[in-house]
Amino acid sequence: MLNFETTVQDSKSYGDLTLSEVEPILKINLRSNKREFSTKIGKLLSIIPPIEANTSSSNEDYSILWLSPDEWLIYSNNKISYEQQNLLEENLFNNISNTNQGSVTNVTDHWVMINLKGSKIYDLLSKSSPYDFKNFKMKKGSVAQTLLNHTDVILHNIDDNNLNLFVRRSFSEDLWLWINDSARFL
Amino acid sequence: MSQELRINNNKFIDQTTRLSFKFNGEKLYGYKGDTLASALLANNIHLVGRSFKYHRPRGIMTCGSEEPNAIVQIGNDPSLTDPNVRATEIELYEGLEAFSQNCWPNVKFDIGGINNLLSPLLPAGFYYKTFMWPASFWEKYEFFIRHSAGLGKSPTKPDPDIYDHKYYHCDVLVVGGGISGIMAAKLSAENNNETLLLDDKNILGGATIYQNNDCFQIDGTHTNYWLEKEIKNIKNIKNLTIKTRTSLAAYHGYNYLLAKENLTDHLSPDERKGKIRQRLWKIRAKKVIISTGSIERPLIFNNNDRPGIMLSSAIKKFIDFYGVKAGKEITLFTNNDSAYETAISLKKSGVNIVSIIDIRDKSSSKIVKEVEKHNIKIYWKHTIVNTEGYRRISFIEIMQLSDDGSDVIGKKIKLKTDCLGISGGWTPMVHLFTQSGGKLKFRSDDNVFLPDKNKTPSDQISIGSCNGDFDIKDIILNSNKDVKTFLGIENSSFDNLKVESSKEEMKRNIWLLPSDKPIGKTKPFLDFQNDSTAKDVKLALREGFKSIEHVKRYTTTGMGTDQGKLSNMHALGIIAETTGTNMGELGTTTFRPPYTPLTFGAIVGRNVGEFFDHTRKTAMHNWHVQNKAKFENVGQWKRAWYYPKNGETMFEAVQRESKAARESVGILDASTLGKIDIQGTDASEFLNRVYTNAWSKLAIGKCRYGLMLNEDGMVYDDGVTTRLGENHYIMTTTTGGAANVLTKLEDYLQTEWPELDVYLTTVTDHFSTISICGPNSKKILSKVIPDLDLSDEKFPHMSFKNSIINGIKCRVMRISFTGEHSYEINIQSNYAKHVWELCMDAGKNYNITPYGTETMHLLRAEKGFIITGQDTDGTMTPSDLQMDWIIGKKKFDFIGKRSLYRSDTIRDDRKQLVGLLTDDPKEILEEGAQIVEKLNQKPVEMLGHVTSSYFSPNLNKSIALAVMKSGKKLKGKKFFVPMENKNINVTVTDTVFFDKENKRLNA
Repeated sequence: MLNFETTVQDSKSYGDLTLSEVEPILKINLRSNKREFSTKIGKLLSIIPPIEANTSSSNEDYSILWLSPDEWLIYSNNKISYEQQNLLEENLFNNISNTNQGSVTNVTDHWVMINLKGSKIYDLLSKSSPYDFKNFKMKKGSVAQTLLNHTDVILHNIDDNNLNLFVRRSFSEDLWLWINDSARFL
Repeated sequence: MSQELRINNNKFIDQTTRLSFKFNGEKLYGYKGDTLASALLANNIHLVGRSFKYHRPRGIMTCGSEEPNAIVQIGNDPSLTDPNVRATEIELYEGLEAFSQNCWPNVKFDIGGINNLLSPLLPAGFYYKTFMWPASFWEKYEFFIRHSAGLGKSPTKPDPDIYDHKYYHCDVLVVGGGISGIMAAKLSAENNNETLLLDDKNILGGATIYQNNDCFQIDGTHTNYWLEKEIKNIKNIKNLTIKTRTSLAAYHGYNYLLAKENLTDHLSPDERKGKIRQRLWKIRAKKVIISTGSIERPLIFNNNDRPGIMLSSAIKKFIDFYGVKAGKEITLFTNNDSAYETAISLKKSGVNIVSIIDIRDKSSSKIVKEVEKHNIKIYWKHTIVNTEGYRRISFIEIMQLSDDGSDVIGKKIKLKTDCLGISGGWTPMVHLFTQSGGKLKFRSDDNVFLPDKNKTPSDQISIGSCNGDFDIKDIILNSNKDVKTFLGIENSSFDNLKVESSKEEMKRNIWLLPSDKPIGKTKPFLDFQNDSTAKDVKLALREGFKSIEHVKRYTTTGMGTDQGKLSNMHALGIIAETTGTNMGELGTTTFRPPYTPLTFGAIVGRNVGEFFDHTRKTAMHNWHVQNKAKFENVGQWKRAWYYPKNGETMFEAVQRESKAARESVGILDASTLGKIDIQGTDASEFLNRVYTNAWSKLAIGKCRYGLMLNEDGMVYDDGVTTRLGENHYIMTTTTGGAANVLTKLEDYLQTEWPELDVYLTTVTDHFSTISICGPNSKKILSKVIPDLDLSDEKFPHMSFKNSIINGIKCRVMRISFTGEHSYEINIQSNYAKHVWELCMDAGKNYNITPYGTETMHLLRAEKGFIITGQDTDGTMTPSDLQMDWIIGKKKFDFIGKRSLYRSDTIRDDRKQLVGLLTDDPKEILEEGAQIVEKLNQKPVEMLGHVTSSYFSPNLNKSIALAVMKSGKKLKGKKFFVPMENKNINVTVTDTVFFDKENKRLNA
C-alpha cells in the first residue's frame, strides 16, 4: 500500500476552540437533473439528497450536502478505509453514471476536511468570511459555500458550535495557517 | 504638574490615575480619560504645530475629528512613528510621546516661518504660476518642492502592529452615540432588531452627556443625567451590541459600511504587546440610522488662526468633560446662542469671561438672559477686526458692525484675552449620507445642507443634528417620530417626554467678517491646515474659477487631512456671496470615504507578510523543497522552477535538466494543470462544441489535444482530453486557465446549451500528475507498475490505461509535451508523493532528473509547442499559430467558429507564429524583443516580437518563437532584433526545431 499523506496532519486548541483535520474521509461529488436520481441514491445509501438550498441530509454513515440545484457532495461521517471508499464509489458510479442518471466523481483528495469546534468558531469565521451565519448556526445540518480568507470553502453545521469545513487540498495548508493565526486573537 | 487649569471632581476623568507623557521632549502629566489635547491644555500649552504653507503657529482648535491644527507625530522611533494623529482624538496613555509637525528646529522657533513674511508673494496658485517655466527646470524645482511638501513624516520600517477584519451583519446599524443615536438604538433593539451602535469616542452620549445646564431639561432633570440613565439601561438590552472607539469610515451602496475600531491605541506600549491594534468592521445592515451630529463652524475674520483661538463648543467640552480651562481670561465671539452655553459652563467653573462679542443686534432667548444675569459684558453688533499674539493670542480688537454687516464703524476697542472661543453656527455631518448616494438640500434659514428625504437611498434615515435639528426639543421629538416610522414601531418610551430648552430666536450670518483694513492686508483663514484664506478664494474667482470643485483644487481649501470639515461651508458661502449665486445651487464638494483617515494596516488586516497572497501547493511540494528546488509563482501555485545542484546558475541547471530529459529520463510535477471530469450522454457533443477539432470518433482509452477558442475566434486555452468511457472524459486545461475554463464551460451548459446532458466536476486537486519523459521513461514505468503492458501496440502514444500502484488506482496517459516518449501518472493526491518517490527510486540507475517549469518550457519550444498566454496573447487565431490542421472545417459549429471567417481574422498580414534562429548560435534573444526589417528607419516599423527564447542544449544553439506580420510567408528571410547596444541578426524558420518527424515519441 502506498503511504497516505494529507496536508495538515494536525490538530490545535485555543481555549475551547479545537481545530483538527479529519482524514481519510470519502468525498463524492454527485450531479444530476434526472427524476429517478434521488430515488436511486435513496436506495443505495438510505439517504435522500436534499432539494432545499444550503441544507443537508445525514444518516449514521453519510452526509449529503446541497451544493446547487443539480449538485451534491457526499462524505462519510467516519474515517473509512481505501477499499471501502472504492466499493462505494464503484457502486455509485455503476448505478448512476453508467446508467446515465447523472455523474459520480470521486473528490476524496480534492477536499480536505477540517473540524472546528468551540463557542468562538463563528467569531473566527467572521474575521474573513462575508457570510451571514445567523441562520446557519441556528440550524443543524445547514450548508454554506462561502469564502474564508478569500478561499472557497464549504461549511457543514453538524452540531451546536461544531462544523466541518471543506477546503481544496492545494489551498488547505495556507488556510490552516490563517485559521491558526486568527484563532490566537479570539 | 500645574493644577491651575484643572477642575476637580470631574466624572469623566480619573484623577486618581496620573499619566506621564512627553510633548516635544518635555515631560508632562495628565490623567486617565484625557486626550492629548486636553492634557496639553491643562499644561497651558496651546501652540502645537505649524501651518502647511506659511508655517504660522497654530494651536488646538477643536475637540474632535474635525481638528485642522493639532495634528502630531506619535512615537520617538522615526522608523515606527505614526504621523498626522489628531491630538484631540488620541487618548492619553502612560509613556505617550508626541511631536509637533512641519516645523524646524522646533515649534516655537520655526525657520519656515519666513514664509509668513513672504505671504504676499505666495497667493493661491503660486506653484502653478511660478514653476511652469522654463519647463526644463521642473526637476530642479521638484527637488525643493518635494522636500517642503507634506506635514508628518512616514515611518521607514514595516508596521509591526497587528490588524484585524470582522464581517458583521445586523438588522439595524446606528452610527453615532449622541442623544438621538442612543434613543434610536434603544427603540430598535427593544423591538427585536439585532442592533449595532457605533461611536468613535470611548464614552457614549455625544455633547449631551456633559450638558449640565438649567436651560436644558428632560422630565425635570438636566439632560446629561437623563441621558446617563438611558445609556446605563441600553447596556442591558440583549439585542444591542455597542462598539465605542469605533468610527465609521465609509458608507457604500446597499448598506455596506466600513468602520475602524481602535483596540489598543489608548493603551501604554507595554499593555499593547501581542494585541490587535485596530479592527476594520465590514458591516452589512438591513437598515441604517445616521446620527452623526454636527460640528461647530468657526468665524472668518482677520488673523483668526492664532493659538488660543478655539471653537466655542471645544472650550465647553474641555471644561465640562475634561475639566480643563482653556484659558484664564476667555472671550467668546459668536453669531448664535451656542456660545452662551459655553459662557454658562465657564462661569460655573469659575473662569473669568472677558466679554462676549456677538454680531447680532440682540437675542432675547432664555440662555442669553441667563448669561446676562451673570453680568458678563456682551458687545452686540460687534465684530473682531484683528487679533494679536504670535504664539498665543493676547489681544483682540473689536469694532461695531454696520447695519448691513459689510463694514465696521465707530471706535476700535482693544481687549486683553488669552483664549478666544468662536462660534459660527453648526454644520450637520452629512458625509456618510452623501457617501451612500443621498442628495442634499439647502436650508437657507441657517445656511445648512441637509439630507433630502426624497433623495435618500432606501433603508436609511438621518436623525438628530445631522438632520438639521439643533434644539434638544426638536431632536427628541423628531428622532422619536422618525425612528418609529422607519422601524414600524407604534409606541415608544420617548412619546411623552417633557423637554425644556432655550429656543434660538435670532440668527445672523456673515461669511467673511469685515475689517477696518482692506482685505488684501488681512489674513482671514478658511482652511487652517492648508493656509487658504478668504482672499485666496476671491482671487480664484477673479481668475475665472467658478465651480467649487475648481476653487477647491486651485486654493487647496478642504484638501488637508481634515478634508475641510471646518472650512468648506465658508468657502461655499464666500463663493456664493461673491458671485451672487444661491448657495444651494452651488452645491458642495464631493464627500469621499474615509470620513476620517484610515491606517493602511486596518485596510489590509492580516493579509500581510505570509498572508499577503495565497500559496497553492502540490502534493509533492515538500519533496521539491527538500531537493532545493527554486519555485516559480504560476497563478497562486508554487511550481518547481528548476533544481540547482552544487551552486549551479539557473541557466546551468536548465541546460542539465533539458539534456537529461532527452538523453535518459526526466520527471516533472504537472499536478497544477486544471482537470475537469466530464460525464453525460452528450459529453462528446459538448467537446465538439467547445474545441475546434472533432471528438465524436475518439475511441475509448484514447487522448486528443484540443484548442479552445473565445467567441472572437482567439485561442483561449488548450490541453489534452482523454476518453475514459462511453460518456466519460477527463479534460486538462492550462494551470492559469483552470478556474476560468470551468466557469466558462459551466456557464455555456447552463445558459447556451441547457439541452445537453453533461455534468462537469473539477478534480484538479483530487489528482496529482507525475510526468515522466525521455527514452528511458518506459523502463521507469515498468518498474513502478510492473503489471502494465507498455508495448507500443497495447499502449500507443495518445492513449490511456487504468492501473494500480501498490493497491491504489491510478490513470496512466501516454502523452507528451516534450516530444519524448512520455507517460503521465494521475493518482489521488494523498498518495502522490510516495509514487513520485517510487519513480525517483526506479530511475536511480538511469539518472532520472527532476525538472521544473523552465526546462519544460525549453523542451516544448524545441518542438514548437505553444504555451497559451506566452506565445498567444488573446489576439492569435489557430491559423495565426500555423495550426490550421486543428480546425474541424466540416464541423457544424464550435465556440469562435464564426469569428474565424471575419475579414480581419483571414487577413494575410496578421501576426503569425514563426521560428527564429540567430545568426550567432550562441546569442540568446530576449523575450519581448521587437523584430524589424530595416535599421535606421524612423519611425521604425516593428514587425513582431519574440515570445519564447532559449538556448537549446540538445541543438547546441539558440532558438526562439516569435509572432511576425505575415510570418507564414517569411521563412528563410533575415531580420534584425535591435537591442540597447547591438543589433542581432535573425532568420525566420519553421516553428519545429527538434525531431521534426516525431520519431522520439516511440523511441
